[in-house]
Amino acid sequence: MSQHDTTDDDDTDLWIGRRDVMKAGAVGAVAAGLGSSLTSLTPLAQAEDGRTDLVEHTGDWRPSTCAGCTSWCAAQVLVDDETDRVLRTRGHEDSRIHGTNDCPRQDLGIQQLYDPDRITQPMRRTNPEKGRDVDPEFEPISWEEAIGEIADRIMELRENGEPETFMVTRGRYTYLRPILYSYLPQIIGSPNNISHSAICAEAEKFGPMYTEGEWSYRQYDVQQSRYVLAWGADPISANRQVSHYSNEFGDLLDRATVAVVEPRLSSTATKSDEWLPVEPGHDGALASAMAHVILRDGLWNREFVGEFEDGENRFVPGERVDPETFEESENSRGVIEWWNEELYDKEPEWAADEAGVPAEQIERVATGFAEAGPNAISWLGGGPCMQVRGSYTAMAIHALNGLVGSVGNRGGTLYAPSTGVEDLPAPDEYVDEVAEAGLDHEKIDQRGRLEFPALKDGESGGGVVTNNAADGILDEDPNEIEVLISYWNNFAFSNPESQRWEEALAEIPFHATIETHASETAWFADVVLPATHHQFERWGQLRSTGAGYRTINLHTPVMADDPDDPEDVLENGRLWDVKTDETEIPYLLAEALADRGFENLLAFFETEYPDPESGRSLREEIPGDDFESRELRAQAFSRNALKLRTRPIWDPDYRENEFDWPGGEEFDDWVEFRERGIWHTDEWEYRHRWPSEGGEFDTDTGVFEFDGETLRNALEGHAERHDTDVDTVLDVCNYQGRVDDPDAPDAFVPHYEEPYDMGDEDDYPFNFVDYKDRLNREGRSANTPWAQEFNDVNPGDEPGKDLAKINPRDADRLGIEDGDEISIRSPVGEIESTAKLWEGVRPGTVAKTWGQGHWAYGRVASDEFGDEARGGSNNVVIGAEYDRLSGSSVFYGDVRVDIETR
Amino acid sequence: MSSESESLDAELETTTLDGEGVDLSMVIDLQRCTGCGACNIGCAQENNLQEGMAYSSRIIETNGEFPNVSYEYTPTLCNQCDDAPCAEGCPTSALHKGKGGITMHDHETCIGCKSCMINCPYDEIHLNEEDPHPTWESEEATIESGTASARAVKDRAGVDDDVDAPAYYNPNREVSETEHPTRYKGIVEKCNFCVHRLERDELPRCVEECPCEARIFGDRNDPDSTVNEVLAKYNPDVLKADEGTEPSVNYVRDYNGGSYERGTGEPGLGD
Ligand code: SF4
Ligand code: SF4
Ligand code: SF4
Repeated sequence: MSQHDTTDDDDTDLWIGRRDVMKAGAVGAVAAGLGSSLTSLTPLAQAEDGRTDLVEHTGDWRPSTCAGCTSWCAAQVLVDDETDRVLRTRGHEDSRIHGTNDCPRQDLGIQQLYDPDRITQPMRRTNPEKGRDVDPEFEPISWEEAIGEIADRIMELRENGEPETFMVTRGRYTYLRPILYSYLPQIIGSPNNISHSAICAEAEKFGPMYTEGEWSYRQYDVQQSRYVLAWGADPISANRQVSHYSNEFGDLLDRATVAVVEPRLSSTATKSDEWLPVEPGHDGALASAMAHVILRDGLWNREFVGEFEDGENRFVPGERVDPETFEESENSRGVIEWWNEELYDKEPEWAADEAGVPAEQIERVATGFAEAGPNAISWLGGGPCMQVRGSYTAMAIHALNGLVGSVGNRGGTLYAPSTGVEDLPAPDEYVDEVAEAGLDHEKIDQRGRLEFPALKDGESGGGVVTNNAADGILDEDPNEIEVLISYWNNFAFSNPESQRWEEALAEIPFHATIETHASETAWFADVVLPATHHQFERWGQLRSTGAGYRTINLHTPVMADDPDDPEDVLENGRLWDVKTDETEIPYLLAEALADRGFENLLAFFETEYPDPESGRSLREEIPGDDFESRELRAQAFSRNALKLRTRPIWDPDYRENEFDWPGGEEFDDWVEFRERGIWHTDEWEYRHRWPSEGGEFDTDTGVFEFDGETLRNALEGHAERHDTDVDTVLDVCNYQGRVDDPDAPDAFVPHYEEPYDMGDEDDYPFNFVDYKDRLNREGRSANTPWAQEFNDVNPGDEPGKDLAKINPRDADRLGIEDGDEISIRSPVGEIESTAKLWEGVRPGTVAKTWGQGHWAYGRVASDEFGDEARGGSNNVVIGAEYDRLSGSSVFYGDVRVDIETR
Repeated sequence: MSSESESLDAELETTTLDGEGVDLSMVIDLQRCTGCGACNIGCAQENNLQEGMAYSSRIIETNGEFPNVSYEYTPTLCNQCDDAPCAEGCPTSALHKGKGGITMHDHETCIGCKSCMINCPYDEIHLNEEDPHPTWESEEATIESGTASARAVKDRAGVDDDVDAPAYYNPNREVSETEHPTRYKGIVEKCNFCVHRLERDELPRCVEECPCEARIFGDRNDPDSTVNEVLAKYNPDVLKADEGTEPSVNYVRDYNGGSYERGTGEPGLGD
């Protein structure tokens, strides 16, 4: 019924009346909000006198952090002073990286906070059967019961002497993560904490690791750059520091040439000077050919790379070079080996055949890039390297920065200056014998086995193989998983070939999950614990990196007027009866475990996490054994953990006397820092790691390596561990490189390998091109109406639709028309989608934005919650393959599919 | 805050909306625009818009054949035309030219006849076929006693049931005699440069929201305004110039700033 029907003569009066209703509304909320529960809203008695005739948006901008993607922008949140309601968000005005600029994803946060499909309180599964088609039949339970159930299960494992069957999985996190992710399993006695990192972009870290010793993401000095060559990176759309790069992009186009290597017309490609629409999987051919051109034409940076002794360029196509004739600079080594083993015959014409990009374009881009050097960026995204043989491509792409001397240099690729945060107190003294025995077990993702080198930081098995944990669980190899706590992730949706996780989760006898929404993962859980929203309802800390700085950004419970007061946070700081995964829940669990006779976790928290300002322990601050007191202590613990983590920043005494202070902004007390919510490092100093400037790279040789010496050591270490040789390792892991085999690429230098087919070309004639939705918020925004309504911000997409983009030439051949319902089938799965004929995709490929295909999560995300998916999930057709050297899951490359009209 | 919006803000403070001869105008620098849609989402939230109704919107075009493809994203909004056919054809003058040259809409006199919708060549007028935000009336939960419902969220957030708006409803929308928080069945509505914000010396939300500083806003009749500076520097364009409506929204440079016209090397607007 409409009270504003225009046929109503009293329209005007009604309207004025309506304003009064608004005021009454605020007062009405008093009654609605009053309750005995700790989480009820503040009584709003003050609402009566606050507003006169009109509502005014006088509110405070309170600091927090957006974790809508790993840009992790410092943020501010406008909180209505009368209702404590969140009105809007923006970038943090004091950030020297992005200022008030945020990206459109942050604006979706408010629709997540106030999402009608949020979980409001703990639930327990009543249907013992588990499966996608099985209704879990959840019933509400209290926090006390829910925590008690988890504690019972953990006690049972420890009593049976099998703590290794406990597992924690994480997805997004804040830097309070060690408490739940590391310390809890450690004290219980399980090695099985499995992060999402290998479905993010570990292969991207492989490139810088095995050239300059940095297992890390880079920041790119776009403000000083003259050439940006982006490889599968879409910096104005997705990850990382989108807010900063978006703002700079218009000026960058004035100052620099931008070239984008990408099989589909990405957002960045739409605005660039050059689009190199590479055939999926062949990026490495382009990188090798560009390096070839740069050396052939003498365009390398002498200061960084070196020079022929007599100044004569001996990089002649097809000819090897005598290393004796070249004098390496003190900054790098191995360029001759790289040329002799890989580059000497990688001419642009060859690459044009491999990669489907014209030779002239390869020449032009390579030349332009090198001539702009050292103010030139070879920008490595996930696309070219989250592929079966992606590690070597990552090295080749990153090594281009070495050739032109842009490593750590003005207008080039930088890292983050050191920050003034402290490690959280660790639990070593609280690990008992039962736990120690459990910790000796192998991890469930099988990292470090012959077939999973996962060479993070040069160490065999140093990194995670996230997606393989599903197989570990299903095969009970190395052991069964009996109890799982998952948090801030949705592995049943976010891993390639996600159907395996559905099976794995159904196998686990007891699974508790901590989430804001009833996700696909929650569908398999025994206990669902509702999580705080990271930007509005909790403590935490993340960091941003850009414009030469790194900032430390706080998450604060913005709806509480005094966030330091646990009571205020519990009463006003949350919309529902929700708790923080990384801190409050482990604390409550510690108390419940102590009730059951295992006191180590609680002793650890009580002893090591006092309030660093007052010195009071948790129990000294909040005594009492009832559950409410425990909830308050859990909140105080959360606050204390953050204070301890950031102590050098706000405690002058600690900073000066107990910490190796790297410089940067200084605060005088906690409240001053907490109210600002952001801290800056000093600015990045160009070239400070160059040996010629007195610095050192973190490789085994201390210099930038074109010859993969550090990789040689890592691979040999892994081979030795398995009593075999490097060739066997590479063979088992599906790589083509070999040691000293003239018919194979060299195992150590950056090089091109042909793509590894994920499907037979005859049966699956198309390459599937996956990329992440610009409004995606790491898979968590599909239930926000704006993400659906405005998803045409992804070039080629249309509002509210999930489209498979096909080149009109292919469509014509197959008789597919715009809007046809089609199925996309791969060797591992099949999804339904709608065809969109679009010239922005390469013939022979099907491009589809990742992010749709939810069958749970909520009523907007799915067609029918628990039943019918909205569109298709790309992960159903992408097989569970790996770039094994980095441990990464594969999303790109030669992912093969067939399409058919339905 | 970015340097651009800071200076635009300062300009706005010296511009009185009621002043004689103030001609408010927006310039959209397409080279700076990244097609991110933040303006549209910000606008939807600012104005409590029903889903599917966008004052700040876009025209998207892909041209050419692989691999020579161009893609253009053109942000759109009501052009606040000097010669506004929407206002001219309105039988009750509900649509009229208001202060600052803004094409205003008076919901109280609107009879929902749709003449303006027919007369606007830009499709910038939207009809409320029903009261907005009906989904926010729902009391249904996906999981009973486990997840929330629209009504429950509104209660919790302190937004009255009678307001046809989401829980993240923006109360600023009614901070003005000229405005109202949400619309209702049977009348039209349109963008008015966020006059409720202008009255409080705040920039239109799409201008403030744009992370790329692609939108420049100010007084066309102030010779020193940034708007005039930018218009003089580049060759401005309007949409459908041949319609003769004299739009107050201008466009400069190209969305494909890379591939079409090489940049001039001059410092960008943000510097
Ligand atoms: S770039 Fe990422 S972190 Fe920054 S505002 Fe956007 S979603 Fe949030
Ligand atoms: S917010 Fe700015 S950059 Fe983004 S689409 Fe709108 S005008 Fe373009
Ligand atoms: S764009 Fe349309 S609605 Fe706006 S003033 Fe012009 S004619 Fe009227």
